[in-house]
Amino acid sequence: MSQLHNAFTLFLSLLVEAMPFLLMGVVVSSSLLLLVDERKLITKIPSNPFLGALVGSCVGFLFPVCECGNVPVARRLLLKGVSPGVAIAFLLAAPTINPVVIWSTWVAFGDQPQIVIFRVIFSLAIATIIGCIFSVQKNTKALLQPNLARRFNVLVNGRGSKAENHQESTPLLLQSGTFLLGTSGSPQRMEALLTEPLSPVAALTNSSKFQSFLDNVVLELRELGGMLIIGSAIAAVIQVFVPREIVLSLSHDTISSIIAMMLLAAIVSICSTVDSFFALSFAATFTNGSLLAFLIFGPTIDIKAIGLMASIFKPKIIIYIFMIVAQLTFLSTFIYSYLS
Amino acid sequence: MINEQLPTRKKNRTSSVIKLKPKKHNWSFWFDNLVLISWGCLLLKYAVTGEYKLLIHPNYFWLMAVTSISLLLISGVRTVLFFRSFNYVPDNSQHLTLFPAKFSRTLLLGVAIAGLIISPNVLTSKTALQRGVTENLPLTHSQPESFVTGTKPEDRSIIDWVRTLNAYPEPDAYQGQPAKVTGFVLHLPELPENYFLISRFIVTCCAVDAYPIGIPVQLQGDSSIYPSDIWLEITGTMATVNLPSKNHQNQRKLVLVPTAIKQIPTPKDPYFKSDQ
Repeated sequence: MSQLHNAFTLFLSLLVEAMPFLLMGVVVSSSLLLLVDERKLITKIPSNPFLGALVGSCVGFLFPVCECGNVPVARRLLLKGVSPGVAIAFLLAAPTINPVVIWSTWVAFGDQPQIVIFRVIFSLAIATIIGCIFSVQKNTKALLQPNLARRFNVLVNGRGSKAENHQESTPLLLQSGTFLLGTSGSPQRMEALLTEPLSPVAALTNSSKFQSFLDNVVLELRELGGMLIIGSAIAAVIQVFVPREIVLSLSHDTISSIIAMMLLAAIVSICSTVDSFFALSFAATFTNGSLLAFLIFGPTIDIKAIGLMASIFKPKIIIYIFMIVAQLTFLSTFIYSYLS
Repeated sequence: MINEQLPTRKKNRTSSVIKLKPKKHNWSFWFDNLVLISWGCLLLKYAVTGEYKLLIHPNYFWLMAVTSISLLLISGVRTVLFFRSFNYVPDNSQHLTLFPAKFSRTLLLGVAIAGLIISPNVLTSKTALQRGVTENLPLTHSQPESFVTGTKPEDRSIIDWVRTLNAYPEPDAYQGQPAKVTGFVLHLPELPENYFLISRFIVTCCAVDAYPIGIPVQLQGDSSIYPSDIWLEITGTMATVNLPSKNHQNQRKLVLVPTAIKQIPTPKDPYFKSDQ
């Protein structure tokens, strides 16, 4: 019983810590919905997969949110028609490549600047590589949750075609296709519903823009909050029922200590804005390479964030991302351990 | 397309749509508001009662407080808009949901209510044993360098002692110094029967990452008369002895030999902060 109460306390502790960052992310995401014109955004991102992924990784610098906050933003980017490769690069890099996190890492590891520098470099490299890998897959249906993929496809392929321009001048009743009867009683083309911004913001006045901003905040908060709860619950249960000492006792040499720290990073699910302080508590017992592994792996993949990521990607894709990040993190920190 | 539709929507709203505005729609609007209010209240409760100290590092207090107020404000503004604006129809279309909205709402509301009813507990020796007691405490940079000489021995807390030992790891240097510390009792299996550890948790971010530190206390008799997890204020002097450590090798360690032991209630702020 007391173990359950402990788990509940840790669960609440994760939620109380993460909720502000989630709210921040949702507010940023909802502002993007109102402020960013998707057509302009897509044209600004290079079509070259490598450059696109690199830009995606660096976009994180504009959004000082950690991994609980960046999922809504990544999802919004996808809904704006940004390619999945770029969005994945953003998703993986944003929790590390942002001013708040770099600053907090600096505060914690100021006397070992190499940790701060390599954390940024490796995270950027891993995010860009994975972004490139996933940009090879052109079929978004294979990557994204079905309804997200559907919307994305219409957004990217359907816009600006001659047929559509022609249709706009034809009365709705004379057009062919699938129509839905909207709440207003007038028919709406089904595909058009998908390409519409979540609410028809462009045509709205300031006050109704604010309303749709508010609605979107509540909508995303509700949905991602649900995910966060499930993720935190799993993390708390593992924390209580899998002793940390088991993880720590795995570390005998360079390889096992890197693996142990990566495991720990995935289990504790700590926010990237504060994880460097947490890593500091292991600085005495662990090698720099393994601390680096913790700092690189933790922000990209953890149990809590996987719940949130499930709102974007298919489970299989999350496993792929998870495995590739793990391998790249291991490789890069392993090489670092031997070269430094 | 969008522009075409707006006039239609407006026109209709005055006639049939408002009348037909489904009950379910209102219901979900209020349910969402309830979720926002419950979470706002939960965070507010932690802020007001000080229970947040059991969950997060106080540095994040303002983040939590602002979130709490924001959630309450959002629900307030929504309500005002709902009543004031005739045209306001909350956008509740269910795009891109992995879970049904009802499920998320119920989950969020359920957790908030559970949080309001069940108070968080203080981490206990069980958790400490599970996480492993750290003897080598890394020094944080916010800590003053003049630390060792700056504090009188009897004013040092457990964290101060551990830090001092880290800064100058020679137990004999502190022999005979007076000490007065508070913490909870932790029985380490590797310590002899007449020892227990007087310990505290250190929080860097939230309770999830709290890790225990402690000083061995040497008693005359069996240490089991002090059950685990009771809080003690111990006055005494420092001494050095050879104690077995986890790898079964004897190590020269600084221990506290008590002259007075007083049981105290669990403090409201039981954790040390990493930058304290």
